[in-house]
Amino acid sequence: MKVLIKAALAAGLALSAAPSFAQDAVRIGALYPFSGGLALLGDESFRGLELAIEERNAAGGLNGRKIEMVRGDAVDPNQAVGEARRLTSVDKVSVIFGTYSSSLSLAATQVAELAGVPYFELGAISDPITERGFKNVYRTNPTARIFANRMVDAVAEAVAPALGTDAKSLKVAIIHEDSLYGQTVAGYQQARAKEVGLNLVETLPYSAKSVDLTPVILRLKSAGADVVLQTSYQNDTVLFFRQMKEQGFKPKAVMGAGGGYSLRDTMQAVGPENMEGALNVDFTQYRTNPKAAPGIEEFVKKYEAKYGTAPRSGHSLANYMGAKVLLDAMAAAKDLTAPAIREAVMAVDVTEGTTATGWGAKFNEAGQNERATPFLMQWQGGELVTVFPADAAVAEIKTGIGAE
Amino acid sequence: MTVRVSLSEAPPAGRLAALMAWLGNPRVYTSLAALSLILVIPIVVDSPFIVHVFVTICVFAGLSTAWNIVGGYAGQLSLGHMVFYGIGAYTTALLIQHFGLTPWLGMWVGAAVSVAVSVFIGYPCFRLRGPFFALATIAFLEVVRLLAIHFHGFTGGSAGLIVPLKLGWAWMIFQDKINYLYIAFGLLLATLAVSYAIRTSRLGYCLTAVREREDAASAAGISNTDVKLKAVMISAGLTSLFGSFHAMYLTFLEPETMFSLANSVSIAMFALIGGLGTVAGPLLGTVLVVPIAELARGWLGASANGLHGFVYGVVLVLITLTLPGGLAGTFGPRVTALIDRLPGRRVAPDREAPALRHIEGTPGEPVLETRDLVMKFGGLTATDHVSITLRRGEILGVIGPNGAGKTTLFNQISGFLKPTSGTVVIYDAEGRPVTPARADEYARLGVGRTFQIVQPFGKLTVIENIMIGAFMRHTSVDDARAAALRIARLVGLLHVKDVEARNLPIGDLKRLEVARTLATEPSILLLDEVMAGQNQTDTQKMVELIRTIRDTGVTVIAIEHNMQAIMSLSDRIVVIDSGKVIAQGDPREVVRNRRVIEAYLGEDFVDAQGL
Amino acid sequence: MDVLVQLILNGIMLGSMYAIISVGLTLIFGIVRVVNFAHGEFLMVGMYAVYLLSLHLGLHPYVSAVPMVLMLFAVGALVQRFIIQPLLGADEHIQIFATVGLSTALINLALLVFGADLYSVQAPGVRQPLSIGGYTVLHAQVVMLASALVLVAGLHLFMQRTPLGRAIRATAQNRNAAQLMGVRVDRIYVIAFGLGAACVGLASALISPLFPVTPTIGTYFVLTAFVVVVLGGMRSMYGAFLGAMIIGIVDSLSGYYIAPDLKEVVYFAIFILILIFKPTGLFGFGRGTE
Repeated sequence: MKVLIKAALAAGLALSAAPSFAQDAVRIGALYPFSGGLALLGDESFRGLELAIEERNAAGGLNGRKIEMVRGDAVDPNQAVGEARRLTSVDKVSVIFGTYSSSLSLAATQVAELAGVPYFELGAISDPITERGFKNVYRTNPTARIFANRMVDAVAEAVAPALGTDAKSLKVAIIHEDSLYGQTVAGYQQARAKEVGLNLVETLPYSAKSVDLTPVILRLKSAGADVVLQTSYQNDTVLFFRQMKEQGFKPKAVMGAGGGYSLRDTMQAVGPENMEGALNVDFTQYRTNPKAAPGIEEFVKKYEAKYGTAPRSGHSLANYMGAKVLLDAMAAAKDLTAPAIREAVMAVDVTEGTTATGWGAKFNEAGQNERATPFLMQWQGGELVTVFPADAAVAEIKTGIGAE
Repeated sequence: MTVRVSLSEAPPAGRLAALMAWLGNPRVYTSLAALSLILVIPIVVDSPFIVHVFVTICVFAGLSTAWNIVGGYAGQLSLGHMVFYGIGAYTTALLIQHFGLTPWLGMWVGAAVSVAVSVFIGYPCFRLRGPFFALATIAFLEVVRLLAIHFHGFTGGSAGLIVPLKLGWAWMIFQDKINYLYIAFGLLLATLAVSYAIRTSRLGYCLTAVREREDAASAAGISNTDVKLKAVMISAGLTSLFGSFHAMYLTFLEPETMFSLANSVSIAMFALIGGLGTVAGPLLGTVLVVPIAELARGWLGASANGLHGFVYGVVLVLITLTLPGGLAGTFGPRVTALIDRLPGRRVAPDREAPALRHIEGTPGEPVLETRDLVMKFGGLTATDHVSITLRRGEILGVIGPNGAGKTTLFNQISGFLKPTSGTVVIYDAEGRPVTPARADEYARLGVGRTFQIVQPFGKLTVIENIMIGAFMRHTSVDDARAAALRIARLVGLLHVKDVEARNLPIGDLKRLEVARTLATEPSILLLDEVMAGQNQTDTQKMVELIRTIRDTGVTVIAIEHNMQAIMSLSDRIVVIDSGKVIAQGDPREVVRNRRVIEAYLGEDFVDAQGL
Repeated sequence: MDVLVQLILNGIMLGSMYAIISVGLTLIFGIVRVVNFAHGEFLMVGMYAVYLLSLHLGLHPYVSAVPMVLMLFAVGALVQRFIIQPLLGADEHIQIFATVGLSTALINLALLVFGADLYSVQAPGVRQPLSIGGYTVLHAQVVMLASALVLVAGLHLFMQRTPLGRAIRATAQNRNAAQLMGVRVDRIYVIAFGLGAACVGLASALISPLFPVTPTIGTYFVLTAFVVVVLGGMRSMYGAFLGAMIIGIVDSLSGYYIAPDLKEVVYFAIFILILIFKPTGLFGFGRGTE
C-alpha cells in the first residue's frame, strides 16, 4: 500500500519535474502570495509585474527573446522556500520577481541566494532583506526605515508648517498593528522621533484582528495626542477611523504608513467625509503630478484596459516600475548569469522623477535602491492626492481630520 | 585467555543473530524498504524542489508522529502542539545569535525547555477531557505567540529573527540541500523508533488503558497523570527537535509561523488521516497529503484563490465521515495480513509464566481495616460509620439490599472515593499500617478490585486487557504476556484470548474483569458482583476459582447478590443496610438474624413469620 | 474616572456582541455535546449574506435579521444532519476535526467566491453616537445589547414553557432517558444545532454595520467566544451571557490599563485559569471535565 503510493508519487513528481522549455524564451519566476490572507495585495502587486512584462514582450521581448512567467504561490515561509526551490530547480527560471510580503521574501531570498539565482524584490519593506550581505538580492522599493523616517520627518517638514506651529510643541503618538509590518515601521519611527527630538507621548501596539480599538483611542485622548502615526492594515484602519469619530477624538493630524490607508475600499468603508485630511506615506499613488512621475497615467490606462477596474492600490505601480527598471538591466546584461546581472544592475543609473513612480534607481552594494522615496499623500474629497514634496504635489496640504 | 575471547565474542554474535532474526520478519523488512524510499527518491530524482518536498514530508511526518504520542496514544487532543516546535526553534536560534552555540547543542537545550513547558502545561490540563483540553492547548499557544510578539527586544518580535547564514555541518546550514534531507530523515527515523518503542512497551499499553477507561486503569495500578505526563514530555521533546531543525532550514523565524495554529491543526489532521494511535498512521497521512497539497498549489492555486484550501477542507470532512479509523486503521489489518504472507521469520511463540509464589503471612492477622467510614453525597449518607476488619486468608462476603452502600464502601477501600470522615488502613508486606492517597497506590499496595459494571478496554484483545493488569508487576512486555496467559488459562479465557474485548458476551466480560485484577497479583481481592449474569455452571466455576485464589494466600472480599453462592463461599458475612453494618459473623448465624431478614424482606414479613 | 466609566460602558457593549455569538455556541455544546469550531464561519457566511441582501435588494441589515436567522437555522440543521449526526457515536477527536475541516472549507470558499476584498454594509443611522451624560455609545450597540437581552429571555421562555423546549432540556440532561421517554433525540439535535446557528444569524445582521466582512472575519470572534463559553460554564445560556459581559469589560479595561496588544493574553490567561481551577465555570453552572 505504502509502497504503491510512494511509487505513484515518485512517478508523478518525476513527470512534473521534467522541464518543458519553450524555445528561446526567458523564464522568470513570479513569487507572490496568491492565496490566503495576503492574497489581495499579493495579486495586486503581481499585476504590476504582469503589465511590465506584457509591455516588454509587445516591444520585442528581452533582446528578441520572449519572456515567459512561471507563478509561485506561497502563504507561509515554508511554502515560500518550497516555491523558490521549485522555481529555481524544476522550472529553472533565470530570475525571480516578488514578493509583497516581507516574511515570505526573507525566506525565499535565502533559497535564491544559495541557488545563485538573482532575486528582484519589488514590494517588501523589511530592511534586513537587503542587509544580510547577499549578492543576488536587489530591491527597488523603499524600506521600512525609509518609510518611518519620511513619516517622522513629514511631521516637522509638512505638518507643523501647515499648522503654523513648531514641531517640538506637538505631542506625537505612534500606534501600530503588531505583525511584522507594524512592528518594524514603528520601531524605526521611535528611533527617528528620538533622533530629531519630537515629543513622543504614546507607543501602542495592538492586534490587527482587534474588534475594538476604543481603549487605544481613549489612551490617545488621555495623552492629548496632536499627531497620530499609524501603521495598519485595512480592518484596523477602518475600525480606528470609525471609533475615533464616535469617541470624539480629533487630533490635528493622522498619518498612515501605507497599508490600509492607501486602499480605496478603506476610504469607502470609513466614508470620504471621515477620511478627509488623513495623511499617508506610501508607494506612489495615482493622483501624483505626472510631471514628477512620467508614465503614471499610461499605466492606469493599461491597467484598466486589462483588468477592467481602476488599480486597487499603489502596489501594482511600484511593482511595474521596479520590474521595468530591472528588465532593462537584464536586457543590458551580457548574459543571464548571476554575475552578469549583478554587473548590469550595479550599472543602473536612473534619475529621480523619470519613472512612473517618480523614484530613481541606483543600487548600493547590498542591492538596495537608494533613490526610492515615498511621497506624502492625503485623502481629499475621496481621492488620495500627493501633497509633499512640492514638485510631486497636486494639491495643498490640509489640516485636521474629518470634513467640517 | 581463550575463554575470555570466546566470551567477548559471543554476545555480539548473539546480537547479530537477533538483529538478523528481527530483519527477517516480513513486517520489519517491508517497513524499512518503504521508509528508505523517502531517502532514495530524492537522491535519484536529484532536484532541489523534490528535496524540499521530502524535507517537508520528513518534518511534518515527524511532528505528526510526535503529536500522535499525546493525541493518539494518550487520547489528549492537543491543538497547540506547535508551541513546542516554536520553543525549539527560538531557543536554538537565540543561542546561535547570543552565544554562538551550534544548533547541534542548542536543539537539546530547546528540547529541555520544551519538556519543562510541557509539564507546566500538561500537569494542570490533563484533568480536562476532549474539547476542553484542545481549547486549553490553543489558549496556551496563543498566549505564547502574543508574548513572543510583545517582548520583541528578546525574540525579535514580529519582525522576525534571522539565522546567520554560516554554512557547514557545524551550523546545520548547507548549500547542498540533500544534507537537510539526511538530518530530517534521521530525525524522522528516531521519532518513529520512539513511537514504535512506546507502542509496543508497557508505557504504550498503559496509555491505551488510560485513554479507554481511566478508572479501570487506576484499578490496574496505573497513575493516569504520570503516564500522560510521560507521553507529553516525550512528545514535546521530539516536537522541539523538529522545530530546531526546521528553523535552521528556513533560517527565518517569526511568531506567526513558529506558533501557528493552522500548522498545529495540520499535524493533528495528518495523524487523523493516516490513523490515530497507530505507529505508521501519521507518516502515511503526511506522505499522502503534503505532496498533494504542494502540487495542488501549483495547479489550482494560480487559477483560483482559495480553491485548494476549499478542496482540502472538504476532503477532511469526507475523511472523518468515511474513514474514521484513518488509512492505517481501515486498511492496516488487510495490508498487514498480505505482508505476513511474504517469506521470513515470524514472531516467537507464546510463553506461559510459571504459577505464582504463595503469599506469605500469618492467617487470621488483619490485612485491611476501616475505621468509622462516613461518606456523604450532599444530604445522603451512603456509608455511616462503617468499621470492618479483613483477616488474612479469609473470604468475606458483603451482602445487603440494593442501594445499601456496598459499592460505595468498595470505592473507599480501593481509593476511588475519599471518605468524608474515617480512615482506611492497609497493612503492607512488613505489617505496617498505611493509608494510600490515590486509587493506583491502593492497587500497587496489593488491593485489587473489579467493577460491578464491567470496565473492559474495548479495543484491546482479551490477552492485552489482562496484560494491562500484569504490567503492574512486570516491566517487560514478554513477561507481562506470559503472566497474562497464565491468568487467562486460570479463569478460562484462553480460548478467546485474541478476541477484542468489546465483542465478548457478559459472562466472559465478568471473568475478564476478574482476570485483569488477578493479573495485578493482589494480596487483597475485592470482587463486586462477579457472579451476576452468569449461568449455573459458570457460577459454580467462579466459586471454585475464588477458592483456588484464596488457597494461594489471597484474602478475598466479595459483594454478591447470589445468596446461595456467597453463603457457601464465605467464611464470614457482613450485612450492610442504609450505609450501616447491621450484622456480621458466621454465614449460618447471619441469615437467622432478625434485622437481616427485616432489611431484605421488610418488617411485615418478619412479623408474619413470627420470628 | 470618566475614562473608566466610558471603558466599562464600551466593555458592556462589546460583551453584548460576544453574548449573542456565545449563546449559540453554548446551545450547540450544551445539547449536542459538540464543540463547533466552524461557529465563526457561520458568522462569516451570515455577514456575506447580509451584504448581498443589502447590495441587491437594498435591505437594511436589521431587516435582514429575519431571513438570516432562518437561513442559518437551515445551515446549522443541515450541518448537524449530514456531518455531525453520522459522527455522534465516533471519537470526540473525529467530531472536532469534522468541524475544523468545515471551517477551513468555508473560509476558502468565501475567498474563492468573494476574493480577499473587504465589503462594508451601508446602514444609515446606526453608527450615530448617542451621548448619555457625556459618555458615548452607538445606536447599533444599544440595539445589540437589547437584542442580547431579548435573545436570552426568549430562549429562556422557549426552554421553560414549550413542549419542544422541555424535550430539548431533557435531551441535554440525559440523552438515553429522553430517548426512552419517546423524545426523538436525533431531531432534537438537529433543532438545537439549528438554533445555535440561528443565534449567529442574528449576530451577523447586528454586526454587519459595525465590521466589514472578509473571509477570515469569523476567526476574529471565535476564540473569544470559546473563552466566554468556558467562563460561563459550557452549558448555561445565562453563564454565557454573564461571561460575555465579563470578557467585554476585561477586554476594554486591559486594552487601556495594560496594553492593547496584551488584552488577548489577559483573557486567555483567565480562560486557562478557569479551565484548570474552576472547570464548572465562573458561576458554577456547568461541568467542565465531562
